Amino acid sequence: MNPNYRLPNSQDSYGFGFLDEFAKREIRRVILKAISIPGYQTPYASREMPMGRGFGTGGLQLTLSMIGPDDTLKVIDQGSDDSVNAVNLRKFAELTCPEVSTTESTTEASLIQTRHRVPEIPLRENQVLNFQVPYPDPLVIVEPSEAKRKIMHGEGDYARLLTKLYEDLVKFDEITISHRYPTRINGHYVIDPSPIPRYDVPRLNQSKALLLFGAGREKKIYAVPPYTNADPLVFDDVPFRTENFYDADGQRRACARCGCTDSFLDELNLEDGSKAWQCSDTDYCNRQLASTEAGEVTQ
Amino acid sequence: MNPILDVKGLTRIHGTECPSCLDMTGPEHDTNVCPACGSVVAAANVSFSLQPGEILGIMGESGSGKSTVVKTLYFDQAPTRGRATFRDDDQSHELFNLNGAEQRWLRNHRFGMVYQNPNLGLNFNISAGGNIAERLLMNDLNHYGDIRRRASELLTRTDVMVSRMDESPKQFSGGMQQRVQIAKALATRPPLLYLDEVTTGLDLSVQAKILDLILEIQHELQTAMIVVTHDLGVIRLLASRTLVMKYGRVIESGLTDQILEDPQHAYTQQLVASTL
Ligand SMILES: Nc1ncnc2c1ncn2[C@@H]1O[C@H](COP(=O)(O)OP(=O)(O)OP(=O)(O)O)[C@@H](O)[C@H]1O
Ligand SMILES: [Mg+2]
Ligand SMILES: [Zn+2]
Ligand SMILES: [Zn+2]
Repeated sequence: MNPNYRLPNSQDSYGFGFLDEFAKREIRRVILKAISIPGYQTPYASREMPMGRGFGTGGLQLTLSMIGPDDTLKVIDQGSDDSVNAVNLRKFAELTCPEVSTTESTTEASLIQTRHRVPEIPLRENQVLNFQVPYPDPLVIVEPSEAKRKIMHGEGDYARLLTKLYEDLVKFDEITISHRYPTRINGHYVIDPSPIPRYDVPRLNQSKALLLFGAGREKKIYAVPPYTNADPLVFDDVPFRTENFYDADGQRRACARCGCTDSFLDELNLEDGSKAWQCSDTDYCNRQLASTEAGEVTQ
Repeated sequence: MNPILDVKGLTRIHGTECPSCLDMTGPEHDTNVCPACGSVVAAANVSFSLQPGEILGIMGESGSGKSTVVKTLYFDQAPTRGRATFRDDDQSHELFNLNGAEQRWLRNHRFGMVYQNPNLGLNFNISAGGNIAERLLMNDLNHYGDIRRRASELLTRTDVMVSRMDESPKQFSGGMQQRVQIAKALATRPPLLYLDEVTTGLDLSVQAKILDLILEIQHELQTAMIVVTHDLGVIRLLASRTLVMKYGRVIESGLTDQILEDPQHAYTQQLVASTL
């Protein structure tokens, strides 16, 4: 998005939330359908947004079609509230949704738009998480024809996807997919959960919050409703494994900033050539830091 | 015993059919192209039955409609008309009345196909074992260790070195590719197998070994098979009964020995004479 973007002077031409009411109503209808058929990629008429497709327009359309003046919005990009992409999307929402408040706090937010992460703090029933999705269809790696992919999804036929995992195990002794891990929803449809790390995949399972996925360029919306099973595709005898952040000595690495050992860590290359690890979720990191500092003060 | 497969009036016409199509094509007209409308009558009124564990041969020159018959039965293409009844245990399926999902289920679970061109039957982008794994996974075998074990059993059975199971079949010899195709087709222990020119283009010694393998499998597993070939030698070795096709029609059918000893149709007589 152009950071200098301003709405045209005659603001009347834009309603609350940028999208016209007709567009919002259509997207809401599609969201309801997506919730009714967990994991099904529901087609919708993706609208042009004043930013390039591929910059989160799918997630943004979800957000704008459901946000109301009482909502508190948080926007994260790879866990961070202040990356350029997150800041731009948040500004756009502030610009187009006048009474909405924004926050960086996971617990305060009623609506969270995310790129590539699930927040560390468990979400609640009265929260919604909107994912920005670049590629919605997990079958695209094994079947180029969309018509055939639709039939495969309809019949729950994922043998060729599993064959891909088989080949991985044969070649590398492990499944090498690090992001976008194919995940079966409610025992039927397999989704691409967007490029979240494996670490976040178990958080989709029996989530208290509604999880919505919007692919603007590919014009698809899908959902993992609250309290729904989400199972990563695996073999019966090869359990699903997440990133573990163990160092060479088998010790769980800690965040260099807040010291916690229970969050997803980003690897940083320091100027002196060494590496450091730090929470990817900045709100979580700040929170941990604040509570240790508070603890030190009281001691 | 009830036949495992009953085919009646199987017809496949390419093009917009006209009322003359069937009357103006066939051996007596020396063509399978309708002179009135230009449609190709690839197969017309083909009827036969197949007993469990039996090998039926379909023989005929290039373009006579042999592949068309097995391709429609394997759902690679739809017939213009006709019926086929497949009896599986106590269940009877009208093949051409089933919906797409039911057809794919039978194809993946109860039928096997080996094509002349290994390209059609195998995915060269994955390993030989992966090709077999895919079929096992379609059959809800979801245990990696069991899949590996079963795939190596099948490859051992078809004389493919297990040490090469993790290589792409692209690098294999033609004979070995056919063995992998056979292993894949057998993965689900199907009661019915279609073999379309499986030895065409292979060295004679390689051909002989594959034909032996097919016979052994039939003895071991009691698999019913339809063997399509233009090679009389293959028919002689494998098939107990044979259909001879020309221009989309079955011109002669019966016990293979009888057809070879005492061919009735002039065309068959010619065929038999030319290979003696
Ligand atoms: N898609 C198609 N469109 C038009 N004609 C076709 C098509 N497919 C097959 N045919 C024609 O149908 C006839 C029967 O073809 P088929 O492949 O069944 O013959 P075949 O007996 O298997 O021959 P071969 O020994 O060469 O494999 C041929 O004349 C062929 O050209
Ligand atoms: Mg053929
Ligand atoms: Zn931290
Ligand atoms: Zn005609």
